[in-house]
Amino acid sequence: MKNRVIGWIDQRFPLSSFVKHDLTEYPTPRNLSYWWNFGFLAGFVLVLQVATGIFLAMHYRADAALSFDSVQHIMRDVNYGWLLRFMHATGASAFFMVIYIHMARTLYYGSYRAPRELMWWTGQGLLLMLMATAFMGYLLPWGQMSYWGATVITNLFKVTPYFGDQIVTWLRGDYSVSDATLTRFFSLHYLLPFLIIGGVVVHLVALHTVKSSNPSGIDLAAKDNIPFHPYFTSKDLFGLGLFLIVYCIFVFFFPNMLMDPANFIPANPMQTPAEIVPEWYFLPFYAILRSVPNMVGGVVAMGLSVMMFAFMPFLDRSRIPGGASNRPMVKLGFYLFILNMLVLGYVGAHPVSERTLLIGHIATIFYFGSFFLIPFISKAEERWLIKRGLSPELKELMEREAREKTQSQARRRSGDAK
Amino acid sequence: MKKIIVLLILCCSSLQVWPEEATLQNIKVDTDLPAIERGMDDLMNNCHTCHTLKYISYLDLLKLGIDKKKVDLMRGDQPLAAPLAGLLSDEAAMQMFGLVPPDLSLMTKAREGGPSYVYSYLLGYYNTPDGVTHNRIFPATKMPDPLGVSTATDPAKREELKKTAHDIVSFLAWASDPHSAERHRLGYYVIGYLLILTALLYAVKNRIWSGLKKH
Repeated sequence: MKNRVIGWIDQRFPLSSFVKHDLTEYPTPRNLSYWWNFGFLAGFVLVLQVATGIFLAMHYRADAALSFDSVQHIMRDVNYGWLLRFMHATGASAFFMVIYIHMARTLYYGSYRAPRELMWWTGQGLLLMLMATAFMGYLLPWGQMSYWGATVITNLFKVTPYFGDQIVTWLRGDYSVSDATLTRFFSLHYLLPFLIIGGVVVHLVALHTVKSSNPSGIDLAAKDNIPFHPYFTSKDLFGLGLFLIVYCIFVFFFPNMLMDPANFIPANPMQTPAEIVPEWYFLPFYAILRSVPNMVGGVVAMGLSVMMFAFMPFLDRSRIPGGASNRPMVKLGFYLFILNMLVLGYVGAHPVSERTLLIGHIATIFYFGSFFLIPFISKAEERWLIKRGLSPELKELMEREAREKTQSQARRRSGDAK
Repeated sequence: MKKIIVLLILCCSSLQVWPEEATLQNIKVDTDLPAIERGMDDLMNNCHTCHTLKYISYLDLLKLGIDKKKVDLMRGDQPLAAPLAGLLSDEAAMQMFGLVPPDLSLMTKAREGGPSYVYSYLLGYYNTPDGVTHNRIFPATKMPDPLGVSTATDPAKREELKKTAHDIVSFLAWASDPHSAERHRLGYYVIGYLLILTALLYAVKNRIWSGLKKH
C-alpha cells in the first residue's frame, strides 16, 4: 500500500528523488565540526519565531492606544501567553546569536570563497531582512525604547539626498513615529519572515548545488562524503538539544535580562529617555554610526559596515584554498576582528564620553581597515606560505584549480558554451 | 599587534569607572505568600491613595491566594475584575503634584536596578539641616516621603521601615510578573526533560556514527 501511494505520487511529483537527492544520498563531508550545526539551528529558530509570532498576533493589538496594554494582556491573562512572548523575545536574540556564529564560521573557514559566493550573498540578503524584521518587531510593544529607537533609526533616512524629509515621512506614515508607523511595522513584521523563508529556500538550493564546505578547506574525495541522513540528521538533532537547553534557561529563568527597563514604560512622545540604546545585536553597528562625527558619514558608515561582508569573495585574493586553518594571517585577523566587534558592542552600549568616543574611533577604523587590508594581506600571506612550502594536498588542489580556470577561459574564448 | 591589544584592554578596564549618582542597596525579593500579602497591606495603606495598579485586578489577588473575605472587603462594591485603581483623580493629582503618579504594576521592571531601585528609593528620603526632605536616589521626585523614613530616627523604627519597604517591593515584584513562580516551576521540568532528551540524542548520534568509523 505504502509503495503504491508513493509510486502514485512519484508519477506526479519528484518525492522519492527529492528525498534521495537531498537527504538520504545527499553527500556531506564527514569531517564537519559542530560549527556546521548553526545553519540548521537558524532554520529551526526561524520556524520557532514564526510559530510563536502567529499565536502572539492573535492576541496583540497594533494600535498606539492599545499595544502596550495588549502585551500585558498576553503576559498576564492569555493562557501561557507569557511563555509565547518570552519565547519570541528570547528567540530574536537567539536568532542573531546563531546567525552571527554561522557567519563567523563562514569567515573563519573561508566558506564564502568560490564556488560559494552566491550562498554568502543570499545569506547577506537574509541578514538584512532579519535585521529589518527585528527592528520593526521591537516597535510593537510600544514602550519608550521601542518608540525612541524607531524614531532615531527612521530619522537616519533624512540623509537621503533631495528627498530626505519626504522619505522619513513616507516610512513613518506621519511626521513623527505614530499609530500609522505602528500598524505598518506590524504588517511588515508579519510579512518579512515569509520572504525570509523564501530566501532560505534559495540559500538551500544554492547549498545543494555547491555542497557544504568543510574544516580542511579542501574539497573532499567522494569517499570522504557521507549521506546527510542519518549521520547529520542525528548530529543536528543533538546540537538542537544543546541549543534548546541554553535557550530554555533564558526563557524560563532570565527572560528579562535582555529587555530594557525603559521598555516597561509606555511610549511617550513628549519625553525622551535618558539614553537610547538598541538591542545587543545592533550595538556594534550603532557604535560605528556614533563614531562618525557627521550624520551623513555615520549613516553611510553604518550601512557599509553591515554590507562589507558581501565584498569578502572579492577582497580575499589568496589562491591558498580554505580558511584560517591553512592561513595563519587569516586566523589572527579573524580573532582580532571578533575582539574588535566586542569592543564596538561595548562602546555602543555606553553613553558617549570622551573615552568611548576615542575607543569608538579606533575600533571603527580597525573595522573597516581589516576589510580594506584583506586584499594585500591575503596576497602577502600567499607569497609567504608558498615560500615556506605547502602541503602536497594544497599544492595539488591549487594546480587543479589553476588548470580548470585556464580551461574554462579557453572554452569561453573559443565560444563553446558547454 | 600585542601593544594594540594591551592598549585596548587598558582602555576598557579603566572605562568601568562611571560617575555613580547614588548606589542602590541590593536586595532579593521574597516570593512567599505571607511576605507578598504583608506587602499588599502596606501598599494599600501607604501607596494606593495616589498610585494605581491597573494590570492587577481583585481577581488576580484571589488567584494569588489572598483570602476571599479580605479581597471583598478591599473591593467594596467594585466588581472582581476591576483593577486596583488609585483613589486620587488625575485632575487632583495634577493640582497637588503637577503630574499623575505613575502606575505601579510594572515599577520593579521599569527602572534600572529593578526591585533594588524601588527599595532604595523608598528608603532614600532624608532631611537637610534646614528641614527640607530630599531623596538621594531620585532627587527630582515629587512624591512626599510615604513611609516617614526622613523623620524616623529610632533604630528599631528604621529596621521596621526597612522591612515594610522590603515587603512592598516583594508585592510589586509579584505584580510585575505574576507568572514567575509558575515559570520557574515549569522551567525545571523543561530543562530536566531536555537534559535527558539531549543525552539520548547524543547516544543515538554516537551509535549511528560508530558504524562509520570501522572503514
